[in-house]
Amino acid sequence: MSFEEVDKGTHVVLAPEGKFNMVAAPPLKTRIDDLVAAGKTHLVVDLHGVDFIDSSGLGALIGGLKAARQQGGDLRIAAVGEQALAVLKLTNLDRILSPYATVEEALHDW
Amino acid sequence: MTGNGAPTGKDYVLEGFAVPDQLDAVHALLAQAAADHPNLEAMDVMLFETAIIEIANNVVEYGRPEGEVRWKFTIRVREDEIEAELDDTGQTFTPEQGKGMPGEEAEGGRGLPIAEALLDQIEFKRMGDTNHWRMVRRLGQLPPA
Repeated sequence: MSFEEVDKGTHVVLAPEGKFNMVAAPPLKTRIDDLVAAGKTHLVVDLHGVDFIDSSGLGALIGGLKAARQQGGDLRIAAVGEQALAVLKLTNLDRILSPYATVEEALHDW
Repeated sequence: MTGNGAPTGKDYVLEGFAVPDQLDAVHALLAQAAADHPNLEAMDVMLFETAIIEIANNVVEYGRPEGEVRWKFTIRVREDEIEAELDDTGQTFTPEQGKGMPGEEAEGGRGLPIAEALLDQIEFKRMGDTNHWRMVRRLGQLPPA
């Protein structure tokens, strides 16, 4: 799985597609780590193109969130599908990874 | 091909190597079973899919020798439940069942707890030189929306 990346200056939007799983999660997490190391600490993961997420995908998001916050930034998720929403709630991760309806909403105070 | 009223209890079977590329085939197997049973609630299928993929992930990730483990998935739809059986030729091990969901900051350790939360039965046993998982989700147990 590939993912799109758009650098908007104040933030970077990453948009994985398809199944965000044990195959797709490691490269996205590596990219997030690289971005954070380069000072790009305000990240939005746009999940509109993701129809399935597994625990590896969740782990990449949590790891990315921690990395961004440690550098004073944040990672937010937007356009979360039904399955991902169910898994976020089941794992209680919706408490620290609040899903925003759109990328625009995720940016509200950046 | 099955038309209307696909027989309940029909086996949907996938055999091959337990490697990352084959996870899509597991999704496709369940999609085929669901397509033959239009009365299945989409939410039941989605949550069952989430559960069995986590168990499949574990076999792919931890089964040894890596890349050489073979597996056989069997899915059955019954009137009141959907069942998957997974046999694999990986090494023997003891799954840590019943550990509960890890804390919010954890980056791993959620696979089996997710499966356990979404299934009504999850059984593991070693049978000869094969690991055997049986996973069942009862249908019609969805909470009100």
